[in-house]
Amino acid sequence: MVIHPDIGSQLVNFCSALLLLTCFAIIAQRRLSACVDLFALQSVFLAVTAALVAFLTGAHHIYIAAALTVVIKAMILPRILKAVIERLNVTRELVLNINIPSSLLVCGALVILAFYITQPIISLGFLLTKDSLAIALAIVLIGFFTMIARKKAVTQVIGFLVIENGLFLGATAAAYGMPLIVELGVFFDVLVAGLIIGIYTHRLQDTFDSVDTTKLTALKE
Amino acid sequence: MIESVVITFVQAVVILAVSPFIVGLIRKVKARLQCRQGPGWLQPYYDLVKLFRKDVVASTHTSWIFTASPYIIFASTLAAVLLVPIFLSTVPLNFAGDVITVVYLLALGTFFLILAGLDAGSAFGGMGSSREAIVASLTEPAMILSIFAVGLTAGSTNLSTIVHKTALLQGIVTDPPPHLMALAALFIVTLAETGRVPVDNPATHLELTMIHEAMILEYSGRYLALVEWASAMKLLLFLTLISNIFAPWGIATEPEPVWMIFGVAVWLVKVSGLAVLIGVIESMFAKLRLFRVTDFLGLAFILSLLAIIFFYILRG
Repeated sequence: MVIHPDIGSQLVNFCSALLLLTCFAIIAQRRLSACVDLFALQSVFLAVTAALVAFLTGAHHIYIAAALTVVIKAMILPRILKAVIERLNVTRELVLNINIPSSLLVCGALVILAFYITQPIISLGFLLTKDSLAIALAIVLIGFFTMIARKKAVTQVIGFLVIENGLFLGATAAAYGMPLIVELGVFFDVLVAGLIIGIYTHRLQDTFDSVDTTKLTALKE
Repeated sequence: MIESVVITFVQAVVILAVSPFIVGLIRKVKARLQCRQGPGWLQPYYDLVKLFRKDVVASTHTSWIFTASPYIIFASTLAAVLLVPIFLSTVPLNFAGDVITVVYLLALGTFFLILAGLDAGSAFGGMGSSREAIVASLTEPAMILSIFAVGLTAGSTNLSTIVHKTALLQGIVTDPPPHLMALAALFIVTLAETGRVPVDNPATHLELTMIHEAMILEYSGRYLALVEWASAMKLLLFLTLISNIFAPWGIATEPEPVWMIFGVAVWLVKVSGLAVLIGVIESMFAKLRLFRVTDFLGLAFILSLLAIIFFYILRG
Protein backbone atom coordinates (compact mmCIF):
# COMPACT_ATOMS: atom_id res chain seq x y z
CA MET A 1 0.00 0.00 0.00
CA VAL A 2 1.38 3.40 -0.97
CA ILE A 3 0.14 6.63 0.59
CA HIS A 4 0.36 9.89 -1.31
CA PRO A 5 3.28 11.91 0.16
CA ASP A 6 1.08 14.95 0.86
CA ILE A 7 -1.40 12.93 2.88
CA GLY A 8 1.47 11.14 4.64
CA SER A 9 3.00 14.48 5.52
CA GLN A 10 -0.37 15.70 6.86
CA LEU A 11 -0.75 12.55 8.98
CA VAL A 12 2.69 13.14 10.50
CA ASN A 13 1.75 16.78 11.17
CA PHE A 14 -1.49 15.64 12.77
CA CYS A 15 0.28 13.25 15.14
CA SER A 16 2.90 15.83 16.08
CA ALA A 17 0.13 18.35 16.77
CA LEU A 18 -1.34 15.79 19.20
CA LEU A 19 2.05 15.72 20.96
CA LEU A 20 2.01 19.50 21.29
CA LEU A 21 -1.55 19.36 22.59
CA THR A 22 -0.53 17.01 25.41
CA CYS A 23 2.31 19.44 26.27
CA PHE A 24 -0.26 22.14 26.90
CA ALA A 25 -2.36 19.74 28.94
CA ILE A 26 0.69 18.96 31.11
CA ILE A 27 1.28 22.69 31.66
CA ALA A 28 -2.37 23.23 32.61
CA GLN A 29 -2.48 20.26 34.98
CA ARG A 30 -1.68 20.54 38.69
CA ARG A 31 -2.20 16.93 39.74
CA LEU A 32 1.09 15.09 39.52
CA SER A 33 -0.33 11.66 38.71
CA ALA A 34 -2.38 13.20 35.89
CA CYS A 35 0.80 14.83 34.58
CA VAL A 36 2.47 11.41 34.53
CA ASP A 37 -0.51 9.93 32.67
CA LEU A 38 -0.38 12.76 30.15
CA PHE A 39 3.33 12.15 29.64
CA ALA A 40 2.62 8.46 29.00
CA LEU A 41 -0.06 9.49 26.49
CA GLN A 42 2.38 11.86 24.82
CA SER A 43 4.90 9.04 24.50
CA VAL A 44 2.27 6.85 22.86
CA PHE A 45 1.56 9.63 20.34
CA LEU A 46 5.31 9.92 19.77
CA ALA A 47 5.54 6.21 19.09
CA VAL A 48 2.63 6.45 16.64
CA THR A 49 4.34 9.34 14.85
CA ALA A 50 7.61 7.41 14.66
CA ALA A 51 5.87 4.28 13.39
CA LEU A 52 4.09 6.39 10.80
CA VAL A 53 7.39 7.85 9.61
CA ALA A 54 8.88 4.35 9.51
CA PHE A 55 5.96 3.15 7.42
CA LEU A 56 6.07 6.10 5.03
CA THR A 57 9.82 6.08 4.48
CA GLY A 58 10.55 2.37 4.78
CA ALA A 59 13.23 3.08 7.41
CA HIS A 60 12.59 -0.04 9.46
CA HIS A 61 14.91 0.76 12.35
CA ILE A 62 12.46 3.49 13.44
CA TYR A 63 9.93 0.72 14.25
CA ILE A 64 12.33 -0.55 16.92
CA ALA A 65 12.71 2.97 18.34
CA ALA A 66 8.91 3.32 18.36
CA ALA A 67 8.49 0.03 20.21
CA LEU A 68 11.15 1.06 22.74
CA THR A 69 9.34 4.40 23.22
CA VAL A 70 6.17 2.55 24.15
CA VAL A 71 7.93 0.16 26.51
CA ILE A 72 10.27 2.61 28.24
CA LYS A 73 8.50 5.97 28.11
CA ALA A 74 4.86 4.91 28.16
CA MET A 75 5.16 1.96 30.56
CA ILE A 76 8.32 1.76 32.67
CA LEU A 77 9.05 5.44 33.40
CA PRO A 78 5.44 6.32 34.33
CA ARG A 79 5.44 3.34 36.73
CA ILE A 80 8.63 4.58 38.38
CA LEU A 81 7.28 8.12 38.66
CA LYS A 82 3.95 6.91 40.07
CA ALA A 83 5.79 4.84 42.65
CA VAL A 84 7.80 7.95 43.63
CA ILE A 85 4.62 10.04 43.90
CA GLU A 86 2.94 7.38 46.02
CA ARG A 87 5.86 7.05 48.40
CA LEU A 88 6.37 10.79 48.76
CA ASN A 89 2.68 11.42 49.34
CA VAL A 90 2.60 14.54 47.18
CA THR A 91 -0.45 14.78 44.95
CA ARG A 92 -0.38 18.24 43.43
CA GLU A 93 1.58 21.42 42.78
CA LEU A 94 0.14 23.95 45.17
CA VAL A 95 2.52 26.88 44.80
CA LEU A 96 3.75 27.60 41.28
CA ASN A 97 6.57 29.90 40.25
CA ILE A 98 4.38 31.11 37.39
CA ASN A 99 0.62 30.64 37.56
CA ILE A 100 -1.22 28.54 35.01
CA PRO A 101 -2.81 31.19 32.74
CA SER A 102 0.53 33.02 32.45
CA SER A 103 2.35 29.72 31.84
CA LEU A 104 -0.06 28.97 29.02
CA LEU A 105 0.56 32.39 27.48
CA VAL A 106 4.33 31.94 27.77
CA CYS A 107 4.05 28.51 26.12
CA GLY A 108 1.98 30.02 23.32
CA ALA A 109 4.76 32.56 22.78
CA LEU A 110 7.36 29.75 22.84
CA VAL A 111 5.48 27.91 20.09
CA ILE A 112 5.48 31.03 17.93
CA LEU A 113 9.19 31.51 18.64
CA ALA A 114 9.89 27.90 17.66
CA PHE A 115 8.04 28.37 14.40
CA TYR A 116 9.93 31.52 13.48
CA ILE A 117 13.29 29.99 14.32
CA THR A 118 12.68 26.88 12.24
CA GLN A 119 10.94 28.62 9.34
CA PRO A 120 14.14 29.19 7.26
CA ILE A 121 15.20 25.56 7.81
CA ILE A 122 11.76 24.18 6.99
CA SER A 123 11.44 26.16 3.77
CA LEU A 124 14.70 24.61 2.52
CA GLY A 125 13.72 21.08 3.56
CA PHE A 126 12.42 18.37 1.28
CA LEU A 127 11.53 15.60 3.78
CA LEU A 128 7.86 14.87 4.26
CA THR A 129 8.30 15.32 8.02
CA LYS A 130 9.89 18.77 7.76
CA ASP A 131 6.96 20.69 9.29
CA SER A 132 7.22 18.62 12.47
CA LEU A 133 10.62 20.17 13.19
CA ALA A 134 8.92 23.37 14.38
CA ILE A 135 6.61 21.39 16.66
CA ALA A 136 9.58 19.39 17.98
CA LEU A 137 11.45 22.58 18.90
CA ALA A 138 8.28 23.95 20.52
CA ILE A 139 7.99 20.78 22.63
CA VAL A 140 11.63 21.07 23.73
CA LEU A 141 11.11 24.71 24.73
CA ILE A 142 7.91 23.89 26.63
CA GLY A 143 9.77 21.09 28.43
CA PHE A 144 12.47 23.57 29.48
CA PHE A 145 9.78 25.97 30.62
CA THR A 146 8.08 23.24 32.70
CA MET A 147 11.36 22.62 34.49
CA ILE A 148 11.69 26.35 35.26
CA ALA A 149 8.09 27.12 36.15
CA ARG A 150 7.35 24.21 38.47
CA LYS A 151 8.83 23.64 41.91
CA LYS A 152 8.26 19.98 42.65
CA ALA A 153 11.04 17.61 41.62
CA VAL A 154 8.54 15.20 40.06
CA THR A 155 7.15 17.84 37.67
CA GLN A 156 10.67 18.85 36.76
CA VAL A 157 11.41 15.23 35.85
CA ILE A 158 8.36 15.26 33.62
CA GLY A 159 9.67 18.46 32.02
CA PHE A 160 12.98 16.71 31.37
CA LEU A 161 11.23 13.74 29.78
CA VAL A 162 9.10 16.07 27.64
CA ILE A 163 12.32 17.65 26.35
CA GLU A 164 13.56 14.17 25.46
CA ASN A 165 10.32 13.47 23.59
CA GLY A 166 10.75 16.72 21.69
CA LEU A 167 14.32 15.81 20.74
CA PHE A 168 13.26 12.39 19.52
CA LEU A 169 10.53 13.96 17.40
CA GLY A 170 13.05 16.50 16.12
CA ALA A 171 15.49 13.76 15.09
CA THR A 172 12.69 11.87 13.36
CA ALA A 173 11.48 15.02 11.62
CA ALA A 174 14.83 16.38 10.52
CA ALA A 175 16.61 13.19 9.51
CA TYR A 176 14.12 10.28 9.62
CA GLY A 177 15.63 9.22 12.96
CA MET A 178 19.14 8.72 14.28
CA PRO A 179 21.14 5.53 13.74
CA LEU A 180 19.75 2.71 15.85
CA ILE A 181 22.82 2.46 18.09
CA VAL A 182 22.45 6.15 19.04
CA GLU A 183 18.73 5.70 19.73
CA LEU A 184 19.47 2.72 21.96
CA GLY A 185 22.04 4.76 23.86
CA VAL A 186 19.57 7.60 24.34
CA PHE A 187 16.85 5.27 25.58
CA PHE A 188 19.21 3.71 28.07
CA ASP A 189 20.30 7.17 29.23
CA VAL A 190 16.70 8.30 29.73
CA LEU A 191 15.85 5.16 31.66
CA VAL A 192 18.88 5.54 33.92
CA ALA A 193 18.21 9.27 34.32
CA GLY A 194 14.63 8.46 35.34
CA LEU A 195 15.88 5.97 37.94
CA ILE A 196 18.54 8.31 39.31
CA ILE A 197 16.16 11.25 39.54
CA GLY A 198 13.67 8.97 41.31
CA ILE A 199 16.30 8.10 43.93
CA TYR A 200 17.44 11.72 44.15
CA THR A 201 13.84 12.79 44.80
CA HIS A 202 13.64 10.30 47.67
CA ARG A 203 16.85 11.72 49.14
CA LEU A 204 15.40 15.22 48.79
CA GLN A 205 12.29 14.13 50.68
CA ASP A 206 14.39 12.47 53.41
CA THR A 207 16.62 15.52 53.89
CA PHE A 208 14.17 18.39 53.57
CA ASP A 209 10.77 16.71 54.17
CA SER A 210 9.70 18.20 50.85
CA VAL A 211 10.31 17.74 47.15
CA ASP A 212 10.38 21.48 46.55
CA THR A 213 13.65 22.01 44.67
CA THR A 214 13.90 25.66 45.74
CA LYS A 215 14.87 24.31 49.19
CA LEU A 216 18.12 23.11 47.63
CA THR A 217 19.36 26.70 47.48
CA ALA A 218 19.21 27.01 51.27
CA LEU A 219 22.44 26.23 53.13
CA LYS A 220 22.21 23.38 55.53
CA GLU A 221 24.71 21.65 57.80
CA MET B 1 -38.40 30.28 -2.13
CA ILE B 2 -41.02 27.94 -0.67
CA GLU B 3 -38.39 25.25 -0.50
CA SER B 4 -36.16 27.53 1.60
CA VAL B 5 -39.01 28.32 3.98
CA VAL B 6 -39.84 24.64 4.36
CA ILE B 7 -36.20 23.70 5.01
CA THR B 8 -35.83 26.45 7.63
CA PHE B 9 -39.05 25.37 9.29
CA VAL B 10 -38.01 21.71 9.33
CA GLN B 11 -34.63 22.70 10.80
CA ALA B 12 -36.35 24.58 13.64
CA VAL B 13 -38.67 21.66 14.35
CA VAL B 14 -35.82 19.14 14.30
CA ILE B 15 -33.76 21.18 16.78
CA LEU B 16 -36.72 21.82 19.07
CA ALA B 17 -37.65 18.14 19.03
CA VAL B 18 -34.17 16.65 19.40
CA SER B 19 -32.69 18.98 22.05
CA PRO B 20 -34.54 17.48 25.08
CA PHE B 21 -33.53 14.02 23.84
CA ILE B 22 -29.82 14.96 23.99
CA VAL B 23 -30.20 16.23 27.56
CA GLY B 24 -31.96 12.98 28.46
CA LEU B 25 -29.25 10.96 26.71
CA ILE B 26 -26.48 12.58 28.79
CA ARG B 27 -28.48 11.91 31.99
CA LYS B 28 -29.03 8.30 30.92
CA VAL B 29 -25.31 7.76 30.23
CA LYS B 30 -24.43 9.23 33.63
CA ALA B 31 -27.05 7.08 35.35
CA ARG B 32 -25.77 3.92 33.66
CA LEU B 33 -22.19 4.72 34.62
CA GLN B 34 -23.38 5.06 38.22
CA CYS B 35 -25.11 1.64 37.92
CA ARG B 36 -28.55 3.23 38.04
CA GLN B 37 -31.44 2.68 35.66
CA GLY B 38 -32.04 6.42 35.32
CA PRO B 39 -35.22 8.18 34.22
CA GLY B 40 -36.87 7.12 30.96
CA TRP B 41 -35.94 8.52 27.56
CA LEU B 42 -39.00 10.75 27.46
CA GLN B 43 -38.48 12.32 30.88
CA PRO B 44 -37.13 15.69 29.60
CA TYR B 45 -40.21 15.98 27.34
CA TYR B 46 -42.56 15.19 30.26
CA ASP B 47 -40.74 17.82 32.33
CA LEU B 48 -41.26 20.46 29.66
CA VAL B 49 -44.97 19.58 29.26
CA LYS B 50 -45.45 19.65 33.03
CA LEU B 51 -43.71 23.01 33.38
CA PHE B 52 -45.76 24.56 30.57
CA ARG B 53 -48.96 23.55 32.41
CA LYS B 54 -47.86 24.99 35.76
CA ASP B 55 -48.65 28.50 36.93
CA VAL B 56 -45.91 31.12 37.05
CA VAL B 57 -44.86 32.47 40.41
CA ALA B 58 -42.85 35.69 40.23
CA SER B 59 -41.52 37.79 43.05
CA THR B 60 -43.20 41.19 43.47
CA HIS B 61 -39.74 42.79 43.32
CA THR B 62 -39.12 41.72 39.75
CA SER B 63 -39.33 44.08 36.77
CA TRP B 64 -40.22 43.51 33.12
CA ILE B 65 -36.75 42.04 32.56
CA PHE B 66 -37.71 38.97 34.56
CA THR B 67 -40.82 38.44 32.42
CA ALA B 68 -39.23 39.22 29.05
CA SER B 69 -35.94 37.34 29.50
CA PRO B 70 -37.22 33.77 28.94
CA TYR B 71 -38.73 34.80 25.60
CA ILE B 72 -35.60 36.70 24.54
CA ILE B 73 -33.35 33.80 25.55
CA PHE B 74 -35.51 31.26 23.75
CA ALA B 75 -35.89 33.39 20.62
CA SER B 76 -32.21 34.34 20.33
CA THR B 77 -31.10 30.72 20.76
CA LEU B 78 -33.59 29.52 18.16
CA ALA B 79 -32.46 32.27 15.76
CA ALA B 80 -28.82 31.24 16.26
CA VAL B 81 -29.72 27.61 15.57
CA LEU B 82 -31.28 28.52 12.24
CA LEU B 83 -27.94 29.92 11.02
CA VAL B 84 -26.07 26.68 11.74
CA PRO B 85 -26.02 23.95 9.08
CA ILE B 86 -27.54 20.79 10.51
CA PHE B 87 -28.56 18.39 7.75
CA LEU B 88 -28.06 20.67 4.74
CA SER B 89 -24.63 22.25 4.27
CA THR B 90 -25.99 25.58 3.00
CA VAL B 91 -28.78 26.82 5.23
CA PRO B 92 -31.36 29.01 3.45
CA LEU B 93 -30.87 31.78 6.02
CA ASN B 94 -27.08 31.96 5.53
CA PHE B 95 -27.38 35.46 4.00
CA ALA B 96 -28.69 36.68 7.37
CA GLY B 97 -25.47 36.29 9.27
CA ASP B 98 -22.20 34.45 9.73
CA VAL B 99 -20.53 32.86 12.72
CA ILE B 100 -20.13 36.22 14.47
CA THR B 101 -23.91 36.63 14.40
CA VAL B 102 -24.33 33.14 15.89
CA VAL B 103 -21.87 33.85 18.71
CA TYR B 104 -23.47 37.17 19.58
CA LEU B 105 -27.03 35.88 19.37
CA LEU B 106 -25.97 33.36 22.00
CA ALA B 107 -24.26 36.15 23.94
CA LEU B 108 -27.52 38.12 23.84
CA GLY B 109 -29.30 35.17 25.46
CA THR B 110 -26.53 34.88 28.07
CA PHE B 111 -26.73 38.61 28.76
CA PHE B 112 -30.46 38.48 29.45
CA LEU B 113 -30.06 35.36 31.56
CA ILE B 114 -27.50 37.27 33.66
CA LEU B 115 -29.88 40.25 33.96
CA ALA B 116 -32.76 37.96 34.92
CA GLY B 117 -30.60 36.35 37.61
CA LEU B 118 -29.89 39.80 39.07
CA ASP B 119 -33.42 41.08 38.64
CA ALA B 120 -35.14 39.04 41.34
CA GLY B 121 -32.64 40.39 43.86
CA SER B 122 -31.96 37.05 45.54
CA ALA B 123 -28.47 36.32 46.83
CA PHE B 124 -28.11 33.17 44.76
CA GLY B 125 -29.19 34.85 41.53
CA GLY B 126 -26.59 37.59 41.84
CA MET B 127 -23.87 35.06 42.63
CA GLY B 128 -24.79 32.90 39.64
CA SER B 129 -24.89 35.96 37.37
CA SER B 130 -21.47 37.21 38.35
CA ARG B 131 -20.01 33.74 37.79
CA GLU B 132 -21.74 33.36 34.46
CA ALA B 133 -20.31 36.74 33.42
CA ILE B 134 -16.77 35.49 34.22
CA VAL B 135 -17.27 32.29 32.27
CA ALA B 136 -18.96 34.00 29.32
CA SER B 137 -16.25 36.65 28.99
CA LEU B 138 -13.55 33.95 28.96
CA THR B 139 -15.27 31.57 26.54
CA GLU B 140 -16.31 34.14 23.97
CA PRO B 141 -12.83 34.92 22.54
CA ALA B 142 -11.89 31.23 22.52
CA MET B 143 -15.08 30.33 20.67
CA ILE B 144 -14.70 33.08 18.07
CA LEU B 145 -11.02 32.31 17.46
CA SER B 146 -11.50 28.55 17.18
CA ILE B 147 -14.18 28.96 14.53
CA PHE B 148 -12.05 31.60 12.78
CA ALA B 149 -9.21 29.07 12.60
CA VAL B 150 -11.45 26.82 10.52
CA GLY B 151 -12.85 29.80 8.67
CA LEU B 152 -9.33 30.72 7.53
CA THR B 153 -9.00 27.38 5.76
CA ALA B 154 -12.38 27.79 4.12
CA GLY B 155 -11.74 31.46 3.34
CA SER B 156 -14.99 32.65 4.90
CA THR B 157 -16.61 33.30 8.27
CA ASN B 158 -19.94 32.11 6.96
CA LEU B 159 -20.80 28.82 8.64
CA SER B 160 -22.57 27.50 5.56
CA THR B 161 -19.51 28.15 3.39
CA ILE B 162 -17.20 26.56 5.95
CA VAL B 163 -19.34 23.44 6.27
CA HIS B 164 -20.02 23.20 2.54
CA LYS B 165 -16.34 23.43 1.58
CA THR B 166 -15.26 21.00 4.28
CA ALA B 167 -17.99 18.55 3.28
CA LEU B 168 -16.69 18.65 -0.28
CA LEU B 169 -13.15 18.06 1.08
CA GLN B 170 -11.90 21.46 -0.02
CA GLY B 171 -9.40 22.51 2.58
CA ILE B 172 -9.62 20.44 5.71
CA VAL B 173 -7.08 17.86 4.54
CA THR B 174 -4.47 20.58 4.14
CA ASP B 175 -4.42 21.80 7.73
CA PRO B 176 -4.75 19.11 10.40
CA PRO B 177 -2.79 20.78 13.26
CA PRO B 178 -4.84 24.02 13.35
CA HIS B 179 -8.06 22.04 13.11
CA LEU B 180 -7.05 19.77 15.95
CA MET B 181 -6.20 22.72 18.21
CA ALA B 182 -9.43 24.50 17.30
CA LEU B 183 -11.42 21.32 17.96
CA ALA B 184 -9.93 20.94 21.44
CA ALA B 185 -10.61 24.63 22.18
CA LEU B 186 -14.20 24.46 20.95
CA PHE B 187 -14.84 21.35 23.02
CA ILE B 188 -13.67 23.11 26.20
CA VAL B 189 -15.84 26.10 25.26
CA THR B 190 -18.81 23.75 24.82
CA LEU B 191 -18.35 22.29 28.29
CA ALA B 192 -18.13 25.79 29.80
CA GLU B 193 -20.89 27.50 27.82
CA THR B 194 -23.46 24.77 28.36
CA GLY B 195 -22.76 24.54 32.08
CA ARG B 196 -21.26 21.05 32.18
CA VAL B 197 -18.77 19.44 34.55
CA PRO B 198 -15.93 20.48 35.16
CA VAL B 199 -17.14 24.10 34.97
CA ASP B 200 -20.66 23.78 36.35
CA ASN B 201 -22.77 20.91 37.58
CA PRO B 202 -26.13 20.69 35.77
CA ALA B 203 -27.48 17.99 38.09
CA THR B 204 -27.85 19.97 41.29
CA HIS B 205 -29.80 22.88 42.77
CA LEU B 206 -28.16 22.56 46.13
CA GLU B 207 -24.54 23.51 45.64
CA LEU B 208 -23.06 26.85 46.59
CA THR B 209 -20.89 26.58 43.48
CA MET B 210 -23.69 26.33 40.94
CA ILE B 211 -23.76 28.81 38.06
CA HIS B 212 -26.59 28.18 35.62
CA GLU B 213 -28.99 26.76 38.19
CA ALA B 214 -28.36 29.71 40.52
CA MET B 215 -29.48 32.17 37.88
CA ILE B 216 -32.72 30.37 37.05
CA LEU B 217 -33.58 29.57 40.66
CA GLU B 218 -36.39 32.16 40.70
CA TYR B 219 -38.06 30.86 37.55
CA SER B 220 -41.09 28.59 37.52
CA GLY B 221 -43.80 27.34 35.19
CA ARG B 222 -43.59 28.17 31.49
CA TYR B 223 -40.70 30.61 32.05
CA LEU B 224 -38.60 27.83 33.49
CA ALA B 225 -39.67 25.57 30.62
CA LEU B 226 -38.53 28.16 28.06
CA VAL B 227 -35.17 28.71 29.78
CA GLU B 228 -34.55 24.97 30.12
CA TRP B 229 -35.53 24.32 26.53
CA ALA B 230 -33.29 27.17 25.35
CA SER B 231 -30.32 25.77 27.26
CA ALA B 232 -31.00 22.32 25.79
CA MET B 233 -31.01 23.90 22.32
CA LYS B 234 -27.78 25.72 23.10
CA LEU B 235 -26.15 22.43 24.07
CA LEU B 236 -27.35 20.84 20.84
CA LEU B 237 -26.14 23.86 18.86
CA PHE B 238 -22.64 23.51 20.25
CA LEU B 239 -22.57 19.75 19.57
CA THR B 240 -23.78 20.48 16.03
CA LEU B 241 -21.07 23.11 15.56
CA ILE B 242 -18.37 20.65 16.66
CA SER B 243 -19.60 17.80 14.49
CA ASN B 244 -20.46 19.84 11.41
CA ILE B 245 -17.49 22.21 11.35
CA PHE B 246 -14.84 19.56 11.94
CA ALA B 247 -16.45 16.46 10.44
CA PRO B 248 -19.44 17.42 8.31
CA TRP B 249 -19.23 14.33 6.09
CA GLY B 250 -22.64 12.80 5.52
CA ILE B 251 -24.37 16.17 5.48
CA ALA B 252 -26.47 16.91 2.37
CA THR B 253 -24.66 19.31 0.03
CA GLU B 254 -27.66 19.67 -2.29
CA PRO B 255 -31.27 20.23 -1.15
CA GLU B 256 -32.38 16.72 -2.20
CA PRO B 257 -34.97 15.21 0.21
CA VAL B 258 -33.28 11.78 0.29
CA TRP B 259 -29.88 13.22 1.14
CA MET B 260 -31.38 15.53 3.72
CA ILE B 261 -33.08 12.62 5.52
CA PHE B 262 -29.76 10.77 5.40
CA GLY B 263 -28.13 13.97 6.70
CA VAL B 264 -30.48 14.08 9.68
CA ALA B 265 -29.66 10.45 10.51
CA VAL B 266 -25.89 11.02 10.29
CA TRP B 267 -26.18 14.22 12.33
CA LEU B 268 -28.19 12.38 15.01
CA VAL B 269 -25.49 9.71 15.26
CA LYS B 270 -22.74 12.35 15.54
CA VAL B 271 -24.40 14.52 18.18
CA SER B 272 -25.47 11.45 20.15
CA GLY B 273 -21.86 10.26 20.12
CA LEU B 274 -20.70 13.63 21.44
CA ALA B 275 -23.46 13.59 24.07
CA VAL B 276 -22.29 10.17 25.27
CA LEU B 277 -18.73 11.54 25.44
CA ILE B 278 -19.92 14.47 27.58
CA GLY B 279 -21.80 12.04 29.84
CA VAL B 280 -18.63 9.99 30.30
CA ILE B 281 -16.56 13.14 31.01
CA GLU B 282 -19.12 14.29 33.58
CA SER B 283 -18.86 10.92 35.32
CA MET B 284 -15.06 10.80 35.24
CA PHE B 285 -14.08 14.29 36.34
CA ALA B 286 -14.85 16.34 39.42
CA LYS B 287 -16.04 19.92 39.15
CA LEU B 288 -13.22 22.45 39.19
CA ARG B 289 -13.00 25.05 41.90
CA LEU B 290 -14.35 28.32 40.56
CA PHE B 291 -10.94 30.00 40.57
CA ARG B 292 -9.46 27.10 38.61
CA VAL B 293 -12.05 27.57 35.86
CA THR B 294 -9.96 30.45 34.50
CA ASP B 295 -7.02 28.04 34.02
CA PHE B 296 -9.23 25.65 32.09
CA LEU B 297 -10.70 28.37 29.89
CA GLY B 298 -7.28 29.98 29.45
CA LEU B 299 -6.20 26.68 27.90
CA ALA B 300 -9.06 26.95 25.39
CA PHE B 301 -8.06 30.51 24.50
CA ILE B 302 -4.39 29.65 24.00
CA LEU B 303 -5.26 26.62 21.88
CA SER B 304 -7.55 28.62 19.62
CA LEU B 305 -4.95 31.37 19.29
CA LEU B 306 -2.33 28.76 18.39
CA ALA B 307 -4.68 27.27 15.83
CA ILE B 308 -4.75 30.59 13.99
CA ILE B 309 -0.99 31.10 14.28
CA PHE B 310 -0.39 27.55 13.01
CA PHE B 311 -2.49 28.32 9.99
CA TYR B 312 -0.33 31.28 8.96
CA ILE B 313 2.92 29.54 9.77
CA LEU B 314 2.18 26.30 7.95
CA ARG B 315 1.09 28.31 4.94
CA GLY B 316 4.43 30.14 5.11
